[in-house]
Amino acid sequence: MIAAFLLLSFLVLMLMGVPIAMGLALSGLVSIAWANADAQWLGLLAGPQNMYSSIAKYPLLALPMFVLVGSIFDRSGVAQRMVTFAIACVGRGPGMLPTVAILVAMVLGGISGSGPANAAAVGGVMIAAMSRAGYPASFSATVVGAAAATDILIPPSIAFVVYSVLVPGASVPALFAAGMIPGVMAGIALIAPAIWLSRRHGFGAAEATLARPPFWASLRDASWGLAAPFLILGGMRLGWFTPTEAAVAAVAYGLFVGLVVHRSIDWRDLYPIFREAAEISAVIMLILGAAGIFSYAINTLGVADPIAQWVKAAGLGSRGTLALVLLALLVVSMFIDGVSIFLIFVPLLYPVAQAFQWDLVWFGVLLTLVVAKAQFTPPMAVNLMVSCRMAGVGMESTIPWVLWFIVSFLVMIMAVFFYPELALWLPRHLGY
Amino acid sequence: MTRHTPRLGVQIEEFIAVASLALLVVITLLNVITRYFTDDSFAWTEEISVFLMVVMALAGASAIAGRDSHIRIEFLFNRRTPQGTEVPRHGLKLFAALASSAVFLVLAALFARWVWDQYKFSETSMGLGVPLWWYGAVIPPLCLAISARAFGAFVRALRTPDAGGDA
Repeated sequence: MIAAFLLLSFLVLMLMGVPIAMGLALSGLVSIAWANADAQWLGLLAGPQNMYSSIAKYPLLALPMFVLVGSIFDRSGVAQRMVTFAIACVGRGPGMLPTVAILVAMVLGGISGSGPANAAAVGGVMIAAMSRAGYPASFSATVVGAAAATDILIPPSIAFVVYSVLVPGASVPALFAAGMIPGVMAGIALIAPAIWLSRRHGFGAAEATLARPPFWASLRDASWGLAAPFLILGGMRLGWFTPTEAAVAAVAYGLFVGLVVHRSIDWRDLYPIFREAAEISAVIMLILGAAGIFSYAINTLGVADPIAQWVKAAGLGSRGTLALVLLALLVVSMFIDGVSIFLIFVPLLYPVAQAFQWDLVWFGVLLTLVVAKAQFTPPMAVNLMVSCRMAGVGMESTIPWVLWFIVSFLVMIMAVFFYPELALWLPRHLGY
Repeated sequence: MTRHTPRLGVQIEEFIAVASLALLVVITLLNVITRYFTDDSFAWTEEISVFLMVVMALAGASAIAGRDSHIRIEFLFNRRTPQGTEVPRHGLKLFAALASSAVFLVLAALFARWVWDQYKFSETSMGLGVPLWWYGAVIPPLCLAISARAFGAFVRALRTPDAGGDA
């Protein structure tokens, strides 16, 4: 009874547009009070304890740090130089600029950990460039929004940091390594429809007449930005840094490149950069704290285990259940943003995952793939919102294009579903 | 004219959040450097970092509550105007702001009680051995700030007449 109230009241509050953090805390607190009607303070003192301990975790420090890295590199001027270098590599012709946008988003994905920051950095350069070459604005916005979805797969990734905080058995380095191959495959899965659509509709025919930048000069200009993923990922691999330390090293490096080398950041820009990062992190961490109260209620009311038992008894088998879970999340994630998906559903699904002994790293990669697809699937498409605003088009106008990218991405998710080794080979090989 | 921003600016909370983040960067960076040279990290900085992170989260959350832009599902919350833009439904906006304010009022009281226990039982921290309530004491005021900001959003919405199109 109380268990049903917990889930249903939260669902209703959420649909009514109560902020997710407040809804989680409200449903959680009321359910705890109801269940402990005769206890001192209605047992509610567990609320602040669980909220505090959900935020006050040292490994979570990686979250604000990687958000800050994204905000800094967004303005550091490396995106422009990487684009020039990428054009020098792939050449000119129909479909080449969209390819460049996706490749640059993937390299930036190796620096920043958030999709919308990536969409802003790539969109700031590519949307105008693609428009000059004759690509329609709605198509450019689609390419940039979809390309930025590779960011949360390619390490470092904020999504993996959050998942790791929620799931004890999955370490951040293992998740980062597991995201690498699916992330690169996701990029390829997006390049294919980008080139095909450009050719079919004759986009970017004007592009072939534009000059190709000189290779070595553009490589030299881009080298500061291109070195950053090696610093971050290599530093972690060689054991120089923990993920948090790698993030703070990237903050220092990005500030140095932006302030001193490219001079694209002014000292006065630092305050807005830090403010943006602090507030993006605060929104996520408040939900994380409130989710602590909610999952305490779930655990003490024993909601999750019966669900897990019931799911197991349904007789769909391990793969069948996982497929059903992913299908449900594919639908739900069209309406709820990615971080909230993790914070609400991972505590509920954890007992199910354990009951079927799903590999928790593989499961994390699959969830992240679903969330990445949702980042460019209307209506709750955070990356597409950013790129559409930059291109000055409505999100509806992207639908004829974005559907192709979604189909291609779904094929990719199925590949990781049927071949878990795509995610698990690299972390095992690296010894995580 | 309708004001969409609070009278008392959210710059205060913004500043607290920015200062906490900047300190976090400096402490973590110093930690990397000292560990590199001395093979020894300041374990005690963990405690301060964790504290700063909580301050940053709550202060930032308060600034965002002032702008009424915490993450929510807008699928039913918004309605489409004849002009084609999306605006929040008046009743739902009022309810969401009031519910947010109430939750954080309750949390402020619960956190105050929690900190009172830390004070009463003279609990000390693991790393530095300082009284825990030194850290805890900032949480109830920050929760109250979030509650007040949400209430401010409620009052502003209440004063805004629900005029069809361009409210």
